[in-house]
This record gives sequence, structure tokens and C-alpha cells, in this order.
Amino acid sequence: MIASLLGLFLRAFVVLSGTALLTFALLWFAPGDPAQAIAMARYDAIVTEEIVDLVRKEAGLDVGFWPAFLSWVGPLVLLDFGNSSVTGRDVWPDMLAAVYYTVPLALAGLFIGLAIALPLAVLATKQPGGLLDRCAVALASLGAAVPAYWLGLLLILLFAVQLGWLPAIGARTPAHAVLPALTLGLGVASSLTRIIRSGILEARGQPFLPAIRRRGVADRKISRDHVAPHAAIPVVTVFGLELAFLLEGAVMVEVIFGRPGLGTFLVTAIESRDFPQVQAVVILTALLFVVVNLLIDLIYRAIDPRIGERNA
Amino acid sequence: MRSVTVLAIVLVFVAVVGPYLAPYDPVAIDIPKRLSRPSAEFLLGTDALGRDILSRLLYGAQWSLGLAFLISFIGLCLGTAIGLVAALGGKWVDWAVMRTTDTFLAFPDLVAAVVIAGLMGAGTWSLIFALSVTGWMRYARVARGIGLSLETRGYVIQAKLAGLSSLSIARWHYLPSLLPSLTVVWTGMFARAILGISALGFLGFGVQPPVPEWGTMLLDARIHMRSTPLQMIWPGIAVVACVLAINLAGDALRDTLADKENR
Repeated sequence: MIASLLGLFLRAFVVLSGTALLTFALLWFAPGDPAQAIAMARYDAIVTEEIVDLVRKEAGLDVGFWPAFLSWVGPLVLLDFGNSSVTGRDVWPDMLAAVYYTVPLALAGLFIGLAIALPLAVLATKQPGGLLDRCAVALASLGAAVPAYWLGLLLILLFAVQLGWLPAIGARTPAHAVLPALTLGLGVASSLTRIIRSGILEARGQPFLPAIRRRGVADRKISRDHVAPHAAIPVVTVFGLELAFLLEGAVMVEVIFGRPGLGTFLVTAIESRDFPQVQAVVILTALLFVVVNLLIDLIYRAIDPRIGERNA
Repeated sequence: MRSVTVLAIVLVFVAVVGPYLAPYDPVAIDIPKRLSRPSAEFLLGTDALGRDILSRLLYGAQWSLGLAFLISFIGLCLGTAIGLVAALGGKWVDWAVMRTTDTFLAFPDLVAAVVIAGLMGAGTWSLIFALSVTGWMRYARVARGIGLSLETRGYVIQAKLAGLSSLSIARWHYLPSLLPSLTVVWTGMFARAILGISALGFLGFGVQPPVPEWGTMLLDARIHMRSTPLQMIWPGIAVVACVLAINLAGDALRDTLADKENR
């Protein structure tokens, strides 16, 4: 047990270091002179060779790949992401300010998604192949095909432009969060519906259920004690996948709705070639992913004792 | 299965023949006729530069579907090769390769693609690179998984004893068993590539104007949402229709394969 837990942590560590290396390599080897790009983003004019050299020295880009990588990755351990190469401000507080916009949005999206998907999947599986079930499946398939940004645009078109009920652009009031959260939530709902539904159906097909039923256990008790835990396993997996969806969705949704969250922060940083900012977002995302996946692995072991045994 | 075939034919047909069906030049600018509503002259209306939207959609099919095909195919080759190296390379190679795969998977692939394409500089080549580099992991996992399960089969052991190289075992014994499952993965990745291309186009990091790509068309249309809302509808419908169709085809294919295995 302890050995396999250590293995999990080792894996998380390897993945995280790999991400740091890949990110840095990507920035280092990206076409074009990074120092030139920074100088242009910062001074917004035609820059001379002299200025580019100064920038290169200041940003620590003149020492070769490995020294530059190590001097960047060292402070990272203490969550010191350095200063923005464009504004010169510390990256961390600026990024944190963006995170404050993204986290509530993502949570609201997840909540809306669950609030739609869970009842829908439970009701749909009451009668597999019935009308409601087929509607749920159709909705889930459609949802998987609709890009988040287009759904966002459609919602803006309907609720902001045509009906004028809700504001679309910005993040000043809570009402500004309704459409972005709904956009994310509908996307989450479609994938969750599909997965919860098949989770329930698969749990129902387990061979031990008829045996329990023949022993005279009540249907309600079977659902609660035997079907639900089984259906929970794929749902836990999905939260890992859902996190990816939420982050991707947040990037697009924030850009569409003009919310100053992490997605907007990232896109702006890329456009102005602000390497420290881009690196910070990438590392933060990877960290979040590794931590969530680690948690998911641990939760698996708690729900399903078979998993720990199999890996050990 | 029949629906899959029909669908494949329709998609290929639209992508190949689309430009010949287009009533106008997709990049011909006609300012006096800008932002016109759907009419007999322009079936789906015109955009802000007076370009015919139907023609742009039909030409766009080439870009969206063609590039998605290319990207998912590169991913297929790359991922299969990597997965087979892991399966045949022994314990340590397997560990290293799979941790690398985990590293790539440890990241929402669209976000990674945005970062890569954005930093490489917007353009078609960056787009292809970004989406291929972030799109091989699922193939690798499937290829490795099946590969490992084949290791103990009699014909593989015999081939090894007969002194066949790993490369020829991979080619003649592993690849044929992998293809059905990889094809199912491929349909999913094809659909994903279509979504990725349009998302990057929409962010301005993908195919550059004046090329009529669906995501870029949505980006243009967004500004004129108030005056010509329909302009924003068409490219979206095109993306949704293709992705939906390909996903359904993938489901059908998977069911057919599952039936075959059960029999």
C-alpha cells in the first residue's frame, strides 16, 4: 500500500518535471528570437540590436539552455514565477487575480452540469431505451459536438442581443457570470450525462445484483448500496476529464465574454510573448492536473479496494 | 456500418467537390454588397467584406476536414509508433515512454495547442504541428495496451523464437491486430481535430485570413452579431454537423467491432 502510494507520488513528480522541461524547451526553441519579441512587446516600436541584447541579458536568455532552465526551475519550487517580461510586474499576484475569476466560473459550470446531468441520467436509466433515455443520449451526443465558443456566441445572441435579459461582455456584476457559467455548464452536462448513464447501466448489469435481489433486498436499498458505488467509479474518473474540459472551456468562454480570467490572461500573454506569464499558467495548470489526478487515484482506492490490490 | 460508409462518402464528397459547387469565389471582395441577408443571389448572405458565405463554407470544408484528416493521421502514425516502442521495448523503455505520454496527457490538449500554436506564430503549419503534437497520446495508450496483451500469444512467441526483429513483429503481427481499435480512436481524434482547428481559428492562432476556415469565419461573424446574426450560425452548424456525424460513425464502428469480438 505504502509502496504504491509512493509510486503515485513519484509519477506525479516525474510528470511535473517533464512538463516544466517541455514548456521551457517550447519557449526556448520557438521560432523567432525571444529577446527580440520581448523587446518589441515592451517598447512597442522598432527596436535596435543594442536594446535586444540588453533585454536578452536582463531576461537571463544569454546563458544557454540548461543554465537558463535551471535558474528558472529553481525558484519555481517556491511558486516564484518571476516578473512579467512586458510589464515587469511580479507574475504571481497578477495570475492569482485572474484565477479568482476563473475558479468560481469553473465551479459554477461544474455545478450546473451536475444539476442537469445527475437527475437526467437517473431518470433516463429508469427505462433504458425509452423516450427520455433516447433524448438524454441525443442531448449528450449533440453536446459533445457543439464547440464551447459557438454555444457561448449563441447564448449571447439569444439572451443579450435578442432578448436583452443579461449582459454579455465583462465581469462587473454577478449577472455577467450567468451566460459564461451556463455555457460551461451545458458542455459539462452533456459529457456527464453520457458517463453517469453508462455508469449506472453497467453497474446494473453486474452479476451479483440478481443474487442480492433474490435474497429479498429492497430495490431502493440495492440502488443505494450496490448500484451507486459502482456507478461512482467512472464518475470519479470523469472529474479528471471534466477538469480538462473546464479549463479548455474557460479559456474559450473567457475570451468570448471578455472576462479577465486565466484564459484571457494566457491568450494575452501569448500574444505579447510574455514568456514568464505563459510559463506560469502552463505550470499552474499542470500542477492542478497532477494534484487532481493524484486525488482521483487515492479516491479510487477508497471506493474500490480491488484497484490497490491489482497495482500492488 | 452502412451509415458509416454513406457518411464517409458524403464528407469526402463535400470536401473534394465543394469548391466546384460554390457559386462564387470565396475570397472575392464586394464591398457594396457587404453584410447582405440570405437571398436568391447569396443563399446564405455575405460577410463584412461582401464575400459569399455559402462559397466560403464550401471551400472551408476542404480546410477544416482536410487539415483535421491530416492532423489525426499524423497523430495516428506518431502515437502507434510510440505505443509499439513502449510495448516491445522492454520494461524501462516502457516506463520512460509511458511517463512521457502521461506528461503530455497531464495537460488539457486544447490549451497546450493554443500555447504551442500561439508561440510558434499563427499559421497553418503551426496549427498542424500544435494539434498533432497534442493528439497522439490516446493512440499510444491503446497501441501499447493491445501490444502488451499480444506478447504472450503463441504466434508472437514463435515469431520471436524464429528471430524476427522487433520491427517486423510490430509490422506483421501487432499492427493488424491494432488497426480496428486504432480506427475507432481515430474517428474520435478526427472529430477533435475539427473542433481544435476551429477553436484555434476562432482565437486567431490558426489558419490565417483570407482563407475561408470555419473558426476564422466565426471570428469575423462575431463582430457583426447585431446586424447579421445568421452569419454566425452557418459555420457553427457546419462544425457541429461534421463532428456529430463523425462521432456517430465512430460509435457505430465500435459497436460493429464489439459484435465481431463477441461472436
